[in-house]
Amino acid sequence: MATQYGVQLAVHLISSHFGNLVAKVCDCLLRKGTLTLASVIRFTELPPQQVKSCILVLIQHNCVQAFAIQQEVGFGEAPRVVTQYMALFHNILHRMRFAKFLAIVSEELDKECEEILEGLLQHGRLTLEQILDRAKSNQSEGEPVVQDALRESFLKLVRAHFVERCPASEPFLAPPSEEETPARKRGAKSAKLVEEPQTIEQRAIAAAAPMDAKRFSVIINTGTDVDDSPNVTAGEKRKQDALELDKETGASCEKDVLWRANFEEFVRCLRHKACIANVKTRLDDGAAIVLSAMLEATRSEEKKVKTENSVPLSMDTIFEGVMKSEAGRSMTLERVRGSLIQLGCAPCVRGAAESYSVDLKNIIELAQNDEVESITLKRYGRDAYRIFRLLSKSCRLLETDKISDTTFVEKKDTAKILYQLWKDEYLQMEKLNLHGSRQSQFLLWKVTKDTLWGHVLNEMYHSALNLSLRVAYELEQEQEIIQLPREKRVGALGNRFERLRKVRILLESSLMKLDDAIMLFNDF
Amino acid sequence: MHLMRWSNVCKDENMEVWKLEDTRPLIGHYKANGCGGMSRSQGSSLKRKRPDTNTASQPLLDAERVLYDLIRSKEDMGIWTRDMKRETNLPDNVVTKSLKALQVKKLIKEVVNIQSKGRKHYMAVEFEPSKELTGGAWYVEGNLDTEYIKILKKTCVRVLSKLKVATAEGISESINKTGLCATECSTQQIAEILRALVLDNEIMEVRSSGSGEFSSIPIGAVCYRCTNKGGLGGGGPTIGAMASIPCGVCPRITQCTPDGIISPKTCAYYTKWLDF
Repeated sequence: MATQYGVQLAVHLISSHFGNLVAKVCDCLLRKGTLTLASVIRFTELPPQQVKSCILVLIQHNCVQAFAIQQEVGFGEAPRVVTQYMALFHNILHRMRFAKFLAIVSEELDKECEEILEGLLQHGRLTLEQILDRAKSNQSEGEPVVQDALRESFLKLVRAHFVERCPASEPFLAPPSEEETPARKRGAKSAKLVEEPQTIEQRAIAAAAPMDAKRFSVIINTGTDVDDSPNVTAGEKRKQDALELDKETGASCEKDVLWRANFEEFVRCLRHKACIANVKTRLDDGAAIVLSAMLEATRSEEKKVKTENSVPLSMDTIFEGVMKSEAGRSMTLERVRGSLIQLGCAPCVRGAAESYSVDLKNIIELAQNDEVESITLKRYGRDAYRIFRLLSKSCRLLETDKISDTTFVEKKDTAKILYQLWKDEYLQMEKLNLHGSRQSQFLLWKVTKDTLWGHVLNEMYHSALNLSLRVAYELEQEQEIIQLPREKRVGALGNRFERLRKVRILLESSLMKLDDAIMLFNDF
Repeated sequence: MHLMRWSNVCKDENMEVWKLEDTRPLIGHYKANGCGGMSRSQGSSLKRKRPDTNTASQPLLDAERVLYDLIRSKEDMGIWTRDMKRETNLPDNVVTKSLKALQVKKLIKEVVNIQSKGRKHYMAVEFEPSKELTGGAWYVEGNLDTEYIKILKKTCVRVLSKLKVATAEGISESINKTGLCATECSTQQIAEILRALVLDNEIMEVRSSGSGEFSSIPIGAVCYRCTNKGGLGGGGPTIGAMASIPCGVCPRITQCTPDGIISPKTCAYYTKWLDF
């Protein structure tokens, strides 16, 4: 969700990484929406060549997607195709969390894989040849780069879906009228079943994305097809034939294939981590181990990041997964069953076997509630916390006195707290006038999650921006100290350096923790 | 618990015989010391010395009589001064003077109406204010009895920590049996306290599965257990990401801008937070 401060944070990130000119172009696309080159030039008032270069940088780093669209023209004129550019808000924000992506690869794979990923994150997109060349130029003396080992590390990354083929640079979107006609012909009833029409941006992303079979497919120079798609056996012969035909051109085509970090997979991993952490705190270690085993076993089968329920698994598979982990080895089958009950998994019978699935959407919602309630407690106090939780759980309008009675807060204090929460956009308020023997007015209150979540997310973006700006400010203030050689950082100067070190640790770790909360509301 | 209403049966020069004439259900909060030291026995005659100021026999002026009868007729609901003036059509100064006299004669008392604390509300001395006036079991003298509520909350958490999982009835029984509280509490009162503890995130509400730790509780029954964060170990909710930084709790966040008067560079809360 690109809120006011979301846009400011995104522009700040681009400015820190690529400078003010690129940031200005990015700002224009984020605020004005999808534009042609001519429009960007007009709005930014920058020279055309500079705008082009800035857009290319943003495309290179997966922050902008181009697409071609047929423009409506006057009668008698030939249709014109124009190129438009859209900013990719989520990808821009991912730049804040590259360190987390690297940590995932370091934990799950190895150092070589981490270095390859680092290169892809630094450069946005690279061919395999460029990846190998980069590794060669980074090598230390006496440590020759082994090409085969590097290719193997690269393949590991692709197999794990951490790296993917880049999308098409400028897909053509067919005019919408041709696509809408079949839906109209189907009639009123079936039209209701048709999903909400996609925006042009959603259509562009879908059109640019490589086909599932190709997305994680690597063809290396030996002609061996390393394919991660599900129907590899059936298609292998056909692919071999295709390879023969394309023998001359195929190798050079594959050499030009650009690869990039697959943000979707990293977000999925972080979502799983967040669910496991929440379950560990809210329930216990056993439940966290069982959930972790289930998610690890089914990660590659999840169709989308925001999947509501985990992929169903049989008890045997779950138990097998639990046994694989060191912490789970001591768990009995009975304990695993108990944990599944705690997780709210009701067994579902598919065929002859029972299978279990966890409601991930519910876990995410509970984590979101915890975060907002924590803000309420810290900002407004314990009485307000109780009142907010009552309204949040009720999901309906409640009258002031009823709130006071249930939460054991004095009536006048209740009214004050409710008014403050309403003023800060945490609550909605409605007035009810009753005309009886005497006219009375009642105030009713409610938490509306959609509105509140958007408001909280905007405040989080604002806070993240503030943390980043403060880090930059502190570094600027102590510029001289940073540039001093170590031996001169003694006495008062040494103290200042030490303070700066602690300040950076506190601010940057707070930013990373806050980013977890941003992902909870924005990405999970 | 019953309301006692005393009436004069006979009198002689030195003695009065008082007989319990009527009883009415009392709604309200009783503490261990009961209501004004009066005996709670029913249907017994008591002999007591005639007090020096024989209030019942003191003659009342006409205005006083009218007001006293009106106030008595409102029983445990009492009546606001403005309503008295409207119903009796007596002038303001007469009402004020009469009410003072009736209070001196200990026939009426002023009570707090929780719905409108600023209004003067009067009641005959023999009645106890109704729940509508007092606010119920949790109010004393028009204010929430926070101390009592706090004690009950702590007691419930302590009991639940021992029982691991229990219904409201189970907790109420345990508290009343072991005499952990000076006054006996109804299951309804305990349920209200438990609901507040759920809102405090000290305990959580669960449904009985009928097996394991729920084996003594019918399937589907609402019961409670301590949260991981709550219980005797103390805690309550964990601190979230936003609550851990100055911006998350800042009262000026809406006025803060990157280059404004209030900004992250000039922020006093940040300066304090980073003061190592």
